[in-house]
Amino acid sequence: MQSALLDQVRGIVGSEYVLTGVALSPYVLEGRTPGAAVFPGSVEEVGALLALASEEGIAVTPWGGGTKIAVGAPPKRLELVLGLRRLNRLLEHEPGDLTATAQGGITLDALESQLASRGQWLSLDPPFGEQATLGGILATNASGPRRHLYGTARDLLIGVMVVAADGSLVKGGGKVVKNVAGYDLPKLYIGSFGTLGVIVEATLKLRPLPDDDRLVVTSFERLKDCGQAVRLVLGSDLIPSAVDLLDGEALRGLGLADGGSAGGALLLGFDGMREQVEWQCEEAKRLLAGAVAQRVLEGGQRDSAWRLVREVGRRAFPDPAAQLRLAVLPTQVTEVIEQAGAVAQRSGLRAAFAAHAAVGIVTAVLAGGRDSAQPVIAALREWRELVRAAGGHAVLERAPLAVKEQVAVWDPPGPALRIMERIKTQLDPKGILNPGRFVGGI
Amino acid sequence: MATLTESRKQSLRRALEAIVGKSAVLSDREELMVYESDGLTLFRALADFVAFPTSTEQVSALVKLASQEGLPFVARGAGTGLSGGCLPSEGGLVIALSRMTRILEVDYDNHLAVVEPGLVNLHLSWAVGPRGFYYAPDPSSQQACTIGGNIANNSGGPHTLKYGVTTNHVLGLEVVLPDGEVVWLGAKTREPQGYDLTGIFVGSEGTFGIATKIVVRLLRKPQAVKTVLAVFDEINRASEAVSAIIARGLVPAALEMIDQVTIQAVEDAFGCGYPRDAAAALLIELDGLAAGMEAQAAGVVAACMEAGAREVRTAKDEAERQLLWKGRKSAFGSYGRVSPAYMVMDGVIPRTKLPYVLRRVNEIVAAHGLRVGNVFHAGDGNLHPNILYDPRRPGEEARVVQAGAEILKVCAEVGGSISGEHGIGLEKMDYMPFIFSPADLATMHRVKEAFNPRGLCNPGKIFPTKKSCVEVGPGYRPHPIEEKGLAQRF
Ligand SMILES: Cc1cc2nc3c(=O)[nH]c(=O)nc-3n(C[C@H](O)[C@H](O)[C@H](O)COP(=O)(O)OP(=O)(O)OC[C@H]3O[C@@H](n4cnc5c(N)ncnc54)[C@H](O)[C@@H]3O)c2cc1C
Repeated sequence: MQSALLDQVRGIVGSEYVLTGVALSPYVLEGRTPGAAVFPGSVEEVGALLALASEEGIAVTPWGGGTKIAVGAPPKRLELVLGLRRLNRLLEHEPGDLTATAQGGITLDALESQLASRGQWLSLDPPFGEQATLGGILATNASGPRRHLYGTARDLLIGVMVVAADGSLVKGGGKVVKNVAGYDLPKLYIGSFGTLGVIVEATLKLRPLPDDDRLVVTSFERLKDCGQAVRLVLGSDLIPSAVDLLDGEALRGLGLADGGSAGGALLLGFDGMREQVEWQCEEAKRLLAGAVAQRVLEGGQRDSAWRLVREVGRRAFPDPAAQLRLAVLPTQVTEVIEQAGAVAQRSGLRAAFAAHAAVGIVTAVLAGGRDSAQPVIAALREWRELVRAAGGHAVLERAPLAVKEQVAVWDPPGPALRIMERIKTQLDPKGILNPGRFVGGI
Repeated sequence: MATLTESRKQSLRRALEAIVGKSAVLSDREELMVYESDGLTLFRALADFVAFPTSTEQVSALVKLASQEGLPFVARGAGTGLSGGCLPSEGGLVIALSRMTRILEVDYDNHLAVVEPGLVNLHLSWAVGPRGFYYAPDPSSQQACTIGGNIANNSGGPHTLKYGVTTNHVLGLEVVLPDGEVVWLGAKTREPQGYDLTGIFVGSEGTFGIATKIVVRLLRKPQAVKTVLAVFDEINRASEAVSAIIARGLVPAALEMIDQVTIQAVEDAFGCGYPRDAAAALLIELDGLAAGMEAQAAGVVAACMEAGAREVRTAKDEAERQLLWKGRKSAFGSYGRVSPAYMVMDGVIPRTKLPYVLRRVNEIVAAHGLRVGNVFHAGDGNLHPNILYDPRRPGEEARVVQAGAEILKVCAEVGGSISGEHGIGLEKMDYMPFIFSPADLATMHRVKEAFNPRGLCNPGKIFPTKKSCVEVGPGYRPHPIEEKGLAQRF
């Protein structure tokens, strides 16, 4: 980056908040080093930086906690990393309204601990909450097991403040829980991976903290039995907050197996009033009588088990080679896992699977193939194919560059791409926001 | 619109007939007049044609024709909208979806259904009810309004406090874009890739294209339901009770408020057993697991008593529950007994601001020499002040509109919104700047450009425009479904 330009950037935020040279090593992305990383301390500074970038045609990569920065195609241009970590305040929390407004750079854990001190929580539980920022969670549509009952960002975000590509400040939605005035812009920024604007503030719906919260882990001999158990649970009166499924490999990789050689386990989260939770745990026991083992976890044990499950991508194997996130119909989950497992085995690789079973989202982790990328590439292609055949879709969430060069990160987007491209052109006409990383090369 | 010459009109009619058949096109003035308004009868606009397609292909062919001919077009569901959304504000073609009413697929295992847009909301819950399922968004007009219209307006209802509004229940859409191309946005599976076009389409008030298939989530009916009526001598105490319930960590399925004007109207008209001298009543419904239900109900009762309720009743059985709801549900019909006409407002506020805003609403309406009845979704802070008036008195309707604008201004000032469920349509275009900056509006406009670059699809809505040939008031009429007693207006 030209030094005159760098001076301008320094002039906006102060030189102590601009990194260059070797200090940039944490911001290397797919082997590329940006020209600079800048950490604005206010929304106005973000605006000034984007206005400058847009004038000069500099590519900007918004950066929260970096936990999902690797998701996406290799960037077309990596020039200015825009770190949001200094915008880390909870701005408003009105418990009586069950809403809160916070800045985009606050970490999820920091936000939750402040909300918890007043008896409430934001019902989003993606992995790496100590590092993941609110803005990043929204921009990547990150979620966790409790999405089963409490939904995802699109069900919780009611208002958003974004710095647009030209530096102007744009608000979508509002601060009230019900609102149909104008287009629902917050939906557009969720999952947009920083390609439409920089999320600097968000207002979200909250929930009261539950009195009681337990995790029921039920292991079965075969994965198929887990699928059957999911159907039983969904057809019952139970109202679990999470319905996750682990295959045998994931169960053992995470150290959650009850000895023996279970083919999989169903993890049910129950939270709410004590009486409700107790009844549900009993009912789950009755319903799932055919299991090989069942445990009820509370407190620290529960939290660490959930943490392992959320972080399955990094924890199932010491040396994961790639991670695919698939979406299929809930009833297809176990079958797709079995097929994908067989593919891995044929290629001499190991695979572990964790699913939010009742919404059909599966994280598939691949390990092995250290000598050559070829088996990994071949297996990923086959996985993609079988997901497509099932009518689903898949994102390559994590893989070495050599693999990404051979296996597309996103599926072909279909005819709606035309509208997506037009939205991108309308909102970022110069194409400076995270160019090339998103669906269809956006 | 008077700008079509007779010969062009003839040739357009023939082209439309070639797509949908002779019996599915209207062009006579008398027939068109049925389609000149929606539930907000203050506005009227006459189409040149109304066509009734029966398939996606026909909708696509109609839209392609309109697009080639430069003819404005607008989708119409049941016409129960309350902001003038489906009016042909620049003339042209109304594409009426009332013949596309099929339930195409129900997948009970995956808790979803695929339906056509003209399907009446309640008919879906009826169809899946025997298997223990229902479709959660429940606008009070659900016996008449269509799922397509619900999508366009992102409609809500009493139970959206706990279960969310329409957008929270839509997974995917087949859409005819404004140039006639058919695309899928979203899917039956979660997390479709790319921008959330389903999310932005829902609530776009028919300006992004026409939904021709809709994938919705189905929910299982709750194991237990408990309904409570709390009666207050002061409206402020009722408002405080709303906050007190939330503060106890309880999330009711519904939390509705009914004020004195409304209670008296209801009692005069139907006699549902609400105390006539009460200043306000709260209707609170809990649902979910049977376990813990008694304790939750006790929590609600305690919160209301602590806030100063005079009396709290709990429905002992389904018959009593229905009776408690009857008062709430017949509120609209009862206004007709005490006033020649009324206009329903729709604004949202943070629920902690209820006491202040309700006082301001009463002051504003009184200052205009009018009366107001409030019956609304207190749990989500979604107000519905119903201003009572007489359209035959000169100038009164204009004062109602003025009072409405002032009320919305107050909603905006306390950090709220100018619409919680009825949409902007024609009614509130000029109020958008109450809550949105020019940059916010410009962004929305750019998104519209992406979907609807030529602006032929439902023109003249949401954003202020000069081109419109809409006629404004006077002329309140109850919507036909209200006259038949099928619905209430909130
Ligand atoms: C008595 C009464 C009670 C009501 N109660 C409620 C309530 O509780 N909650 C609530 O939210 N609303 C309520 N409403 C408002 C109204 O019923 C809703 O807005 C409803 O969703 C409109 O549905 P409709 O089929 O009548 O749509 P219409 O009025 O025909 O159209 C509404 C909008 O949808 C568009 N549209 C229709 N079909 C499609 C399609 N297939 N694709 C794209 N756009 C389309 C139209 O162009 C228009 O912009 C009430 C109205 C009345 C008259």
